[in-house]
Amino acid sequence: MVLAVRASGISIGYIDEEEEYIVWAVRRVDLAIEEGDAFCLVGESGSGKTTFANAIAGILPPHVVTRGKLYIFDRLAIDESTWNFNGLRGRVVSYIPQNPGTSLSPFLTIEEHFYHVLRDTLRYDREKSRRAAIEALLKVGLDRGVLEDYPHELSGGMQQRVLIAIALASNAKIIVADEPTSAIDANLRASVLQLLGKLNREYRVTLLIVTHDLASTSIVCNRLAVMLAGKIVETGRTISVLRNPQHPYTKMLLDCIPLLGVKKPLKPLPGEPIQVVEDKAICPFRERCPRAIDKCVEEPPLKPVGDEESHYVKCWILTGGESE
Amino acid sequence: MSSILELQRVTAGYKSVKGFKSLIKRVEVVLRDISFTVEKGERVAIIGESGSGKTTILRVILGLLKPISGKVLIYGKDLYSLPSDQRLQILRRIGYVPQDPYKSLNPVLKIKYIVGEPLEAAGVEWRYVGERIREVLKIVGLPQSILNDTAEELSGGMRQRVLIARAIIAEPEILVLDEPTSALDVSIQAQIINLLNSIYNTLKVTMITVTHDLGVAQYLADRLIILKSGKIVEEGSVDEVLRDPKSEYTKSLITSYLQITGINSLNNIKIRGQYV
Repeated sequence: MVLAVRASGISIGYIDEEEEYIVWAVRRVDLAIEEGDAFCLVGESGSGKTTFANAIAGILPPHVVTRGKLYIFDRLAIDESTWNFNGLRGRVVSYIPQNPGTSLSPFLTIEEHFYHVLRDTLRYDREKSRRAAIEALLKVGLDRGVLEDYPHELSGGMQQRVLIAIALASNAKIIVADEPTSAIDANLRASVLQLLGKLNREYRVTLLIVTHDLASTSIVCNRLAVMLAGKIVETGRTISVLRNPQHPYTKMLLDCIPLLGVKKPLKPLPGEPIQVVEDKAICPFRERCPRAIDKCVEEPPLKPVGDEESHYVKCWILTGGESE
Repeated sequence: MSSILELQRVTAGYKSVKGFKSLIKRVEVVLRDISFTVEKGERVAIIGESGSGKTTILRVILGLLKPISGKVLIYGKDLYSLPSDQRLQILRRIGYVPQDPYKSLNPVLKIKYIVGEPLEAAGVEWRYVGERIREVLKIVGLPQSILNDTAEELSGGMRQRVLIARAIIAEPEILVLDEPTSALDVSIQAQIINLLNSIYNTLKVTMITVTHDLGVAQYLADRLIILKSGKIVEEGSVDEVLRDPKSEYTKSLITSYLQITGINSLNNIKIRGQYV
């Protein structure tokens, strides 16, 4: 199996210029995404999921420090503090931004949007870009007529489809989607997710979806990772993680989701997700965990759990107190 | 019957000016012929997607937007035909939690002034206000240590609790909530839902919630009012509406609600909504 993305011990931090400290958003994360996977990063705000996805898409801002290594199809994209996304960004990995309403320029027609992207990434001329655009629009279920439209003439769901089509047009192998459903109305979410799922299955695009909504991931993604305070606390096949959640944090998240037509009490734990400033090696869930033990002041390793293959969890209680 | 709030055939909208050389003034009608009643002690949710007019209903109830036609009765009195001092007396009995906790708090004021403001405005002496602030902070589960902080130092969940504390400090009889959890993470959303329900049970308020999320509404209301393009398309108890929706629109809302249908039988997960 070819690995589309491989991160080994990657840390990403934002430098606070005035106070001269680094806020570590992602801390020593190891992750492998196979080609053809639909992978989901789930987490609450501040968990580092967007930062991590931005690193894979190659769109980290300049005031960021990195450690560790990130490979994209065996190309070394991040090597400690040096980045090299040339030939990757926009060509191998493309990106669907969060908010369709603000991500398209109001001055350009949809055709111009395609041309600007394809000219810069693949050196296409107008004619070639138009053909690629029509082909991509067909894949997302839009008519070629929208090429002449301006973004404001399209509905929110159509704008989102246009953004997905732009990401597709450059024949990228990996598509990173940052909260693809959070800015659109509830009744459109299903169809956008359905579309992403179709692209993944029919066109073999590797998908990385960043979201806070566990319910929507369960529909599209075959694998997921739950992030908390810059670390992956549980990862595995979607079915085995949702059917048999192991980490107390994942369990709590599932206990907090309202289910329609089912009266069950919501059971949030007190407290809020911690914001990490210093990179300390402790369990990130220790302060809220109902089952915390003395050992939890040390950071647990990510270890296999249960009978399901490739289900890993970062918790001392579940994987035993003995060190690696 | 002790109806606490009644809307009678309310039509409301906003004035807009269009054009550059020749100005065209017109009224964009957002609510058309809305009528409903809320009984004392009820929990009601108004549901609709963006642009359906749900926030406009709140503005009409809060005395911020005079309807073009129709009446708003609160405690049986017509809100917009009262003299302004009497109107204020009535509006003081409504507590309001605005939509966005990141935009609704003054960034330079200390939390104690933000929370105490409604009482101060009602003419209560500050030394009594201070006592009451401590009480409401305890109710909403905030530490006393934040009294001298500004909002910038608080997380989203804490800000939402500050807004709730401020809404209940003057002991309102009606609590009006505009999308109380849409800006929050799932676990914080669950905390706030549980907090609002415990406030409902202990303070015996009437609760009116506006939301786009059926799941949240199910937890915060006993009765649902479903709104589409400024009109009420369905009204009924939560169980009734979810079990047996009458209108096509409600059916589409329910079928497109994404959820994990039975975690033990994941094969049941399907995408049911196909509405573009």
